[in-house]
Amino acid sequence: MKIAVIGWELPPAFSGGLGVHTINLFGRLAGIMNIDVYVPAMKRLGKNYPFSVVPVKLNRGVIGNPYEIEGFPGFREAVDDYNLKLLERFDPHGVSLVHCHDWITFRAGEMIREKYGIPLVITFHSTERDRSGNFNPQADIMDIERDGARAADRIIAVSAFTRDEIIRDYGADPHKITVVHNGVDNEHYTMMPRTYEPTKRVLYLGRVTTQKGPGFFMEAAALVSQRVPEARFVVAGTGDQYQEVRRLASELGISERTEFTGFVSFRKSVEIYRSSDVFVLPAVSEPFGMTVIESMILGTPVIISRTTGVGEALRNVLRVDYWDTGLIADYVESMLKFRSMRRIMGTMGQQEASKFTWERAAIDTLGVYLSI
Amino acid sequence: MRNLVFYFQVHQPRRIRPYRRSEIGVRHDYFWDERNREIMQRVAQKCYIPATRILLQEGIPASFSLSGIFLEQAAEYAPEVIEIFRDYFKSGLGEVMSETYYHSLASIWNPQEFRNQVEEHRRLVQRLFGISPVSFRNTELIFSDEISREVKGMGFRNMVTEGTDEIIATHSPNYPYLSVSGLKLLLRNYRMSDDIAFRFSNPGWNDFPLFADKYAGWVANSPGDVTNVFMDYETFGEHQWKETGIFQFLTALPHELSRRGVEIATVDRATSDNGNHGTVSVENPISWADTDRNLNAWLGNAMQNDAFNAVKSLSGTQDVKTWRTLQTSDHIYYMSVRNFADQDVHSYFNPYQSPYLAFMYYMAILDDLAMAVNK
Repeated sequence: MKIAVIGWELPPAFSGGLGVHTINLFGRLAGIMNIDVYVPAMKRLGKNYPFSVVPVKLNRGVIGNPYEIEGFPGFREAVDDYNLKLLERFDPHGVSLVHCHDWITFRAGEMIREKYGIPLVITFHSTERDRSGNFNPQADIMDIERDGARAADRIIAVSAFTRDEIIRDYGADPHKITVVHNGVDNEHYTMMPRTYEPTKRVLYLGRVTTQKGPGFFMEAAALVSQRVPEARFVVAGTGDQYQEVRRLASELGISERTEFTGFVSFRKSVEIYRSSDVFVLPAVSEPFGMTVIESMILGTPVIISRTTGVGEALRNVLRVDYWDTGLIADYVESMLKFRSMRRIMGTMGQQEASKFTWERAAIDTLGVYLSI
Repeated sequence: MRNLVFYFQVHQPRRIRPYRRSEIGVRHDYFWDERNREIMQRVAQKCYIPATRILLQEGIPASFSLSGIFLEQAAEYAPEVIEIFRDYFKSGLGEVMSETYYHSLASIWNPQEFRNQVEEHRRLVQRLFGISPVSFRNTELIFSDEISREVKGMGFRNMVTEGTDEIIATHSPNYPYLSVSGLKLLLRNYRMSDDIAFRFSNPGWNDFPLFADKYAGWVANSPGDVTNVFMDYETFGEHQWKETGIFQFLTALPHELSRRGVEIATVDRATSDNGNHGTVSVENPISWADTDRNLNAWLGNAMQNDAFNAVKSLSGTQDVKTWRTLQTSDHIYYMSVRNFADQDVHSYFNPYQSPYLAFMYYMAILDDLAMAVNK
């Protein structure tokens, strides 16, 4: 079996969620099939990959992180250029299916399917509705997603939450959608057991953007602060709402108690998770929520919104409505107060999160391929 | 085999409501009235009334433990349940057993509190049914030598507990024994009990479907004098729905047993008619809960220990009734995080579906109650 993967980024050139996913999932599948991974040609691509990499040279636009489109004015141009160049560059020889990832690659997949009759699998890592935080989604991107969902022979959604969105917003045929949860590389995280002595630190970690609900985090923090004056809040990450959220902290009078770290590296994030009593993700719309699994793997208990996809598969978490800052504050206060709960939820969660392996994701993905 | 002994546990906790930390010092209503009413009324219709009617109609003897917390809620939400039990005990078929009013863990930490709660239960049973119990069953069959001494000291004659693997390795559950304190002791036959309570409707079980003649045959052919079939009364119609045929099974069983020369008896009848086979000593507390058959279902994790210590520390509270109602073991049982097989049992009974929510609601309530203590 040979498959062609249409991706966008590959570590070390960008290490957004899409690139991490590509290398982990297809790194596993490469052991049992031939895989060509197409990505835009980038200077910082690595030398050795477990699959063959086909760089596609672009002439127009600026390559950027697809999840931070606002920062890249030439981004849409680059996407269009990539899809066209890809069709030219594509080698159909022996390819039994094409697997596209997110709207930035859907058009190419559809054109290849049209031209060569090769079946198309698409993965939704998120939808435009998610990325916009339910606020002003871009109609043209939604069109691309709708067309992709219609044309694809099979659809993979990263959660049931995302599957339901695709069905609701794009009228996709439920029978061709399969949910495949992401995995996590837990060997990166193996380390000393925790004591769960209080640090009184409450963590937000992720892009600081509407979709992830950082404003709700700050509002809950203000409520916690009234009842637990020694509580400290950490906002780790950057994003388009960064200044806005800093301003909010100041308005709420908790600037002094809040640390804004800016961008954090993977290594730094591990340290931050481990030094926090609780991780809060009040996402408005989060298709999966990799940070939830990361936090759990590191033994830090989590409070997540019901609109966070990965929550559907987890028991050892506390779930809230993202807007219910009063309840978030109640839960945070309990977390800070009770070491016993941090310890039980932290250790049970650690076990539970370790079941999200890339091996399992690879097997489920293979199942989708074989169903065609 | 001479006797089959039915002992049924009848209990419903007063579940606490989702009580939030922001309510501490503001609201002092802790219990989930609408939920408790709804459950009591549902189980009354599905189990308590139809099952007890069958016992009456078929003349089936059984020993019952009815927790005080159950009886007070039944009186409040489904008084017809009290009526049918009254008819049943008036008929002389049934035995009412003694226990702590609150279905609590008092026996493992405070002998005086234990005695007070048993006495409170005794008064209620006397008032409702005009009966003074002679047999004792502790919460979820928790038992140890020390507890048996307390129970003996309160003047009881008989006690029941679990026939754990450790005990039955040397003592068949099919005979009465004596506790080290001199109580007559019956040990639950967990295999025969669970055939009805758990496996009855399991299509994957080799002996599915289980009919009364087959079961009666097993009993009759078992060695020993007594087959101790102890379970939640809710097995009939609630855990095993009526569609499974559980009521037909119960109806047919007395006839099938008597054809084979086996008589159904209460705990007190069985211990007076059958001689004891020596003494059983149990140093560390056992129970019928989970697969461990010890106290792990309640004190198996740090949250549960926190919660247990917290409720113990409130012994000075003015509001004794509320404090005792919060001692009901179910509150702490809901905080169990045991996975594997037992997790299913815990979640089935857990009204919050999460041990963490159970813990947070309970601790917030205790914090509110503590403020009243310190006032």
